[in-house]
Amino acid sequence: MSTIESAGSPVSRVRKIMPSRNIADEPNAHAPMGVEGAAGRGPEKMNDEGLQPAIEIENFDAFYGDYQALHRVTLRIPERRVTAFIGPSGCGKSTLLRWINRMNDVVATARAEGKLRVGDIDVLSRSTNVVDLRRNVGIVFQKPTPFPKSIYDNVAYGPRLHFKINAAELDNLVEWSLKKAALWDEVKNRLHQSAHGLSGGQQQRLCIARAIAVGPKILLMDEPCSALDPASTARVEDLIFELREQFTIVIVTHNMHQAARVSDRTAFFYQGHIVEEGVTDQVFTKPKQKQTEDYVTGKFG
Amino acid sequence: MAEAQLKKAYDGQWIPSYRLKSAVASQRWQGFVVAMLIVCSTITLATTVGIIVMLVTNSIGFFSSDKVELSKFLTDTQWTLGQSQGEIHYGILPLLSGTFRITAIAMLIAIPFGLITAVYLSEYASRRTRSILKPALEILAGVPTVVLGYVAIVFITPYFLQSLDDGFKAFNAASAGIAVGVLCLPLVTSLAEDALQAVPKTLREGALGLGSTKFETTMKVVLPAALSGIVSAFLLALARAIGETMVVALAAGSSPTFSLDPRLQSQTMTGYIVNTFQSDTVVPGSIAYHSVYAVAVVLFLITLMLTLLGQWVRRRYQEVYQ
Amino acid sequence: MQDHVQTKRDRSRRWFDSGFSITCLLIASLVVVILVCLISGILWQGAPWLRPSFLWNAHHENQPNESGIGQAIIGSGMVCLICGMFALPIGIGTAIFLEEFRPRNRWLKWFHNLVQLNISNLAGVPSIVYGILGVTAFVYMFGVFGKIQTDRPSDYEIGIHYMYQIKTIGGDYVTFPCEDKFQTLYSVDRPLMVTNAKGETFELNVLPKGASRPSDDGLRSRSVFAGKNASITSQKEFYHMQLPFHKSALAAGLTLALVILPIVIIASQEALRAVPNSLREAAFGMGATRWQVVRGTVIPSATPGIMTGAILAMSRAIGEAAPVLAVMGGVLSSTLGLTNLMDSTPTLPVTIYRWAQDDNRAFEGLSAAAIIVLLLFLLVMNSAAVLIRYRAEKNKG
Ligand SMILES: Nc1ncnc2c1ncn2[C@@H]1O[C@H](COP(=O)(O)OP(=O)(O)OP(=O)(O)O)[C@@H](O)[C@H]1O
Ligand SMILES: [Mg+2]
Repeated sequence: MSTIESAGSPVSRVRKIMPSRNIADEPNAHAPMGVEGAAGRGPEKMNDEGLQPAIEIENFDAFYGDYQALHRVTLRIPERRVTAFIGPSGCGKSTLLRWINRMNDVVATARAEGKLRVGDIDVLSRSTNVVDLRRNVGIVFQKPTPFPKSIYDNVAYGPRLHFKINAAELDNLVEWSLKKAALWDEVKNRLHQSAHGLSGGQQQRLCIARAIAVGPKILLMDEPCSALDPASTARVEDLIFELREQFTIVIVTHNMHQAARVSDRTAFFYQGHIVEEGVTDQVFTKPKQKQTEDYVTGKFG
Repeated sequence: MAEAQLKKAYDGQWIPSYRLKSAVASQRWQGFVVAMLIVCSTITLATTVGIIVMLVTNSIGFFSSDKVELSKFLTDTQWTLGQSQGEIHYGILPLLSGTFRITAIAMLIAIPFGLITAVYLSEYASRRTRSILKPALEILAGVPTVVLGYVAIVFITPYFLQSLDDGFKAFNAASAGIAVGVLCLPLVTSLAEDALQAVPKTLREGALGLGSTKFETTMKVVLPAALSGIVSAFLLALARAIGETMVVALAAGSSPTFSLDPRLQSQTMTGYIVNTFQSDTVVPGSIAYHSVYAVAVVLFLITLMLTLLGQWVRRRYQEVYQ
Repeated sequence: MQDHVQTKRDRSRRWFDSGFSITCLLIASLVVVILVCLISGILWQGAPWLRPSFLWNAHHENQPNESGIGQAIIGSGMVCLICGMFALPIGIGTAIFLEEFRPRNRWLKWFHNLVQLNISNLAGVPSIVYGILGVTAFVYMFGVFGKIQTDRPSDYEIGIHYMYQIKTIGGDYVTFPCEDKFQTLYSVDRPLMVTNAKGETFELNVLPKGASRPSDDGLRSRSVFAGKNASITSQKEFYHMQLPFHKSALAAGLTLALVILPIVIIASQEALRAVPNSLREAAFGMGATRWQVVRGTVIPSATPGIMTGAILAMSRAIGEAAPVLAVMGGVLSSTLGLTNLMDSTPTLPVTIYRWAQDDNRAFEGLSAAAIIVLLLFLLVMNSAAVLIRYRAEKNKG
């Protein structure tokens, strides 16, 4: 359990809402998820059976030039849940994530085959409107990437790009987004100052606010906390947990503890394959595969 | 009212949804912009094509004249076009020798001084000396060449050269050469310094760790490692010196001489071109006018070859350490 | 014993080492010495001539005391303005194409590489070659618009009115309209409607040859003898344009634009390359098109760098003499000054060059004074560049 123990335990609202997520002393760790959910977890953890998949991936291969980064990946990501991608470095987590909203178009050598659907959009199809796709599938990167503009303009960037929106509506939307991203109280008096003046954690929440301001259905997050200190990490985790009521969230993380805390489902990647995928607690406590167990218990990776 | 709306939105599962801008329109606009950018890029290609077409067609105009033969152009040791007296000679050798004299003197100054300055800046200089030397070099590099030409005729020739030796003419190769050397010095320094800085620190530290002095490290390790970059700096400076116009037009005089004596007037290829265009006596379409293009072909080929060679050498050293 | 030799050699090595570093320092300081000598020499020569009237007077042949750089400053300004108006947008556009729009299409890729390769070679072409190009492509336009002729009006021109001018017996000049601009002389043999300098229009009184001169002043100023030649003159509007451009400020400006184009492109490319990729990805992730990314995110971030490069390129243009000399010839003054883009005009570097060559040695001092003015312009521009760079770094840090 060394990975989990060493991951630190931020003071977090998530932990208050959720019973301890430390697997070692999970009381009914071996209970099936459905039962657990019924056993008083409330709305936080839900049975996923029967939910509409927000993202469907089937026999998906991804390449960088001749190098194959993903092999025959098949995965269904449910709506309004947090799905975590875990796995050792270089196993293709970011690659899959970046294909979901075609960020890999930017990489000249990247190409992919197979089926990848977001709602009713066929992502890989040539005729897909990438602008529409990305408006529906927002992304947050590892390093906070605020634009060198004011806080307000950062959040207004997307709406201005996509919406026919007047100034008053835009003001409201910016406020809504910043509130959703739990940043409003900290920045409401300095909306027109440079976003670079914010702390790293605030910048990351600003990036989340910016992403949700265009009303995406899905939020992709590539290691959103790995450049942040523990306190900021806790705040971002809280935020993710709250956003899942409204958005489908896919998060890549190297922090087992974080995956366990914030995600409903987990997919374990290894060398370009999805080795195991399932309800988070099951993956962490009763992994079906030896590799998964080794990884989540910190024997390698 | 907005407040209430917002509250409702925040409490509920509201998701931003406004009327969308047309994605097709922005795609079309992008297409238009890209087309414009491609047109911009084409202009640089058109420049090259223009230079080549102009040089080729007009020098054909020169050599196809029945008074002109290619072999004489390459071997005759006299050039009288533009002098407007007597029989015409159009051997490029005197112009080449003028260019050669001035370039040689310039390189004799720019290469050693430029290289040593680069070595000093890269290996020895403290922050403070750097903060004086670097701006000085930048300013010197930014001085218009016509200013250096002025300095050559007003100061270098009368106060320096003619006090050394009476044989120096009022216009001579040496003063132009010195001024061109000063002009090339910052170029050599900055390119050579780049090459020296590209040498990895570990190489230096290794040599110093083995007990070499700084001088030995510089000479035996750093300079050899940066050699191709330094050579490329020399080549580019050489091309610059050969193409330099204003200094030679002012200081080197307007009569071509086939000689190696730096005290004589020595019109260069560039000097001839600019003098011809400047004078009102040369009519477009005449032999003298066409001869400009023949000279320009030679000048263009030499500088192009040096530039290509310099880039090739430079790319090789960049491959080594990157 | 061996130890002793070793340390002795060692010591001499150390001595040699520090000797070398001192020699290097001395040689490196030569740059500063040269710069100081150059500037003080020029100040010494030029300062006595720097008077206010020097700044606005035109050049006067053989009258150094009356001469100045007024026309040259205006000319340099106009030529550089034209140069900047063409070189900066085209150069920055090319840089954006090269850095931000890396194509996937095979033909475009090929084009892309060709442009990139071409630019680094263009940067090494001597500026006088651009001057020749300017003469060929702009002054004469490859002879496309007719044979190269200097004293013949262009077939393709706007903003110019031709008329004939004739001197009356009274000594006044009167003008009348011209039908054929290629006919330079017109022999007056019958009465015509003419206009005099006061704007009065009347019929010209044509006296037969050999008639006696009228005694009345008013009549004299309205009469000519038959057979007297009227010569063609023209009046140009400020928007006068012609093809080819002839030896004009426009041709010179365009030529300079070609000279600095590679510099602008290379500097802008560097500025664009310095924009972190994460910023681009963030904007793409928001669903921006490539152009929206470039316009909204990349260009604002690269602006200080691009501006610095642009200023440095412009300061190259303002000091460049050879191409201007080739294109416009060594003009020192024009009677009317610069009234339209088709006029040729003196510029600062060309004036410096011509004055330095003048037989009248007093012009050497004037030349130095002009150099001081030119260097001051350059100083201002470079300080602006330094300031922009400094402010950009402060904003970032
Ligand atoms: N732009 C690229 N060009 C070529 N190969 C790439 C590129 N990006 C990633 N790869 C390769 O694809 C494989 C998967 O990379 P990916 O970034 O998806 O890994 P990851 O699981 O996100 O790793 P990490 O946890 O370190 O972020 C790696 O082997 C990597 O080297
Ligand atoms: Mg990754």
